[in-house]
Amino acid sequence: MKHYAETLYDSYGQEFRVDRLYFENKTDHQHLVIFENALFGRVMALDGVIQTTEADEFIYHEMLTHVPLLAHGNVKSVLIIGGGDGGILREVCKHTGVEEITQVEIDDQVVEMCKEYLPNHSAGAYDDPRVEIVIDDGANYVKNCDRQFDLIISDSTDPIGPAEVLFTEDFYGNCKSCLKPEGIMVTQNGVAYMQLDEVVNTALRFKPHFADRSFYSAAVPTYIGGIMTFAWGSDNPAARQQTLETIEERYQSAEIKTRYYNPAIHLASFALPQYIVEATQV
Amino acid sequence: MKRLTVKTIREAAPYQQLVAEHGSPLLVLDCDLLTQQYKKLSSALPGVELFYAIKSLPHPAAIDTLHQLGASFDIATSGEIELLREQRAEPRHTIHTHPIKRDRDIRDALRFGCTTFVIDNIYELEKFVDYRHRVGLLVRVSFPNPDSPVDLSRKFGCRPDEVEMLLQKANALGIHVKGLSFHAGSQCPDASNHVRAIEACGEIIHRYNEQSSRSMAILDIGGGFPVEYVGDTAEVDIDRFCAPIRAALATLPEHLHIIAEPGRYLSAPSMEAVSRVMGKARRGEQVWYYLDDGLYGSYSGQLFDHALYPLTVFSDHDEREAAVIAGPTCDSIDVIAEDVELPSLNIGDLVIGHQMGAYTSASATDFNLFERATIVAINRDTESDSATNLLHLAYR
Ligand SMILES: Cc1ncc(COP(=O)(O)O)c(C=O)c1O
Repeated sequence: MKHYAETLYDSYGQEFRVDRLYFENKTDHQHLVIFENALFGRVMALDGVIQTTEADEFIYHEMLTHVPLLAHGNVKSVLIIGGGDGGILREVCKHTGVEEITQVEIDDQVVEMCKEYLPNHSAGAYDDPRVEIVIDDGANYVKNCDRQFDLIISDSTDPIGPAEVLFTEDFYGNCKSCLKPEGIMVTQNGVAYMQLDEVVNTALRFKPHFADRSFYSAAVPTYIGGIMTFAWGSDNPAARQQTLETIEERYQSAEIKTRYYNPAIHLASFALPQYIVEATQV
Repeated sequence: MKRLTVKTIREAAPYQQLVAEHGSPLLVLDCDLLTQQYKKLSSALPGVELFYAIKSLPHPAAIDTLHQLGASFDIATSGEIELLREQRAEPRHTIHTHPIKRDRDIRDALRFGCTTFVIDNIYELEKFVDYRHRVGLLVRVSFPNPDSPVDLSRKFGCRPDEVEMLLQKANALGIHVKGLSFHAGSQCPDASNHVRAIEACGEIIHRYNEQSSRSMAILDIGGGFPVEYVGDTAEVDIDRFCAPIRAALATLPEHLHIIAEPGRYLSAPSMEAVSRVMGKARRGEQVWYYLDDGLYGSYSGQLFDHALYPLTVFSDHDEREAAVIAGPTCDSIDVIAEDVELPSLNIGDLVIGHQMGAYTSASATDFNLFERATIVAINRDTESDSATNLLHLAYR
């Protein structure tokens, strides 16, 4: 393989030069490739779609983790759905106040390969004593789970493939039952400019389950086509309306080092372009 | 081409060697011949991107050989996708051409990375609503061909006058139609139906691009490029066959990307069947020879594909007698050739079938649970096995 062409869209796409191929395999569930690219470092792709690169992963992982964590202010338990590369886990582990972290990943091979070939993503987080890894279908897990968490983070692939069930109303409803009353759920929700349907669908499917719903965003270079959106659901509207001072204070006392996230970005990320505002008024 | 050729016993040697090594029945795939066919068609259709129709011979060595030559691939099922995946084919260079698909088929193709699909009706179009941001569609148009033994416009394809309605509907649903496709019929005696279809599609595309703010950029001229079977008098000269197609394509706007889906022309001449006489009987005036392969096996194309394959037997004697060559199963329909004049064959002798690459093993069955013929690929450029090279010389 000399080049890797993403096949997300028929008439447009990004292509990477493969400077070194580390791994290629069709696992039980998905087609996994990990390679080196001069500009983006190690790149992982699943089923023709870029999942993460060493160079820009910090934007995605910091935003999907620290925004809800600091907005909540007292997270003790976290459930991560998917996230096999370990990036979310690494960011969650930075918070010393978090006591229990459960990660449910469908494909153990993704975890193993990422530990081996993308070690900087998890950066040792899989060895953290607070972490429990469950190999299971995330939808199945929340359906049968009798625990409740302060925060649920769904770090899934796109809705075509095994992650399909992680975009259903059933799944969101089951997640809601696994949330404490003040809890927050956030999900990876695609690049809205390219796939507005995904945002609309999530807005519709969150509606029956969460009193307060919204999206926030960040631009991740290798998720091409504009800003990436994250869905936000909670029964506590205050969590999304924290003042800059509050977030600033929590950020300082958490003593975490970030490269994209900061309190100003936190607040600004909830400002959405008009086309998303209109599409999500459902 | 003649139905039957008798060669000397000595000339059977390379086939005997293969049977000694791999058993019988065999299908011998010569990757060099496949390469030659690909190159001939490429130069007869300059500027046309060739998507090998995997269905004609879905074999890894064939895929690998064509992939290395830079061919693209026409897929119709998830099974074919798996085969391409194993051969590391580039998903960007594939199109899914089955006009009728289940949701799962669409998802499998998208997960593989194929984003081009073919539709020919409203119901099929509507299946793409959820995927509209990811795909580009071709509308398949029907151009019936009474001169083709395998008319591919009866079961699939919309009428030319239905295209506009489908395009409007697609636009309303936000689904991008990027071009048209047709299949002029397989094993076409001449290119007149291709030319008619190219002209009609060119006209539809032209009108649409004038009137609409969107544009169609692809014309897929399908397959249908012929090879010689028994009864065909003239040898197929592919360059001559394609001359009218080239002329018709030359009148189209330059920006139009032209693609084709050849199956038979590439695969048919690349494979020969090697079978053995497993029994004989004298019934009335005729001698019956029972081979270890037949109509339910590699010769299934005689039924499904309406093809008659040239046969070769080996004998050093001049006497001939009326004979029947039959397949091994219990069914009386399983007869490969009747009323042929054969030299006397012994049990264990070989019978060779030629031009047997396309729609042969692809449509073979497991009836009676007779083993299917083993496909042996020779002249793969990864091998330099002296025995297979010898055989290669003996073929010529
Ligand atoms: C959609 C499609 N494309 C291509 C082909 C290959 O045609 P041929 O073998 O005549 O080249 C076929 C044959 O059935 C077909 O159905």
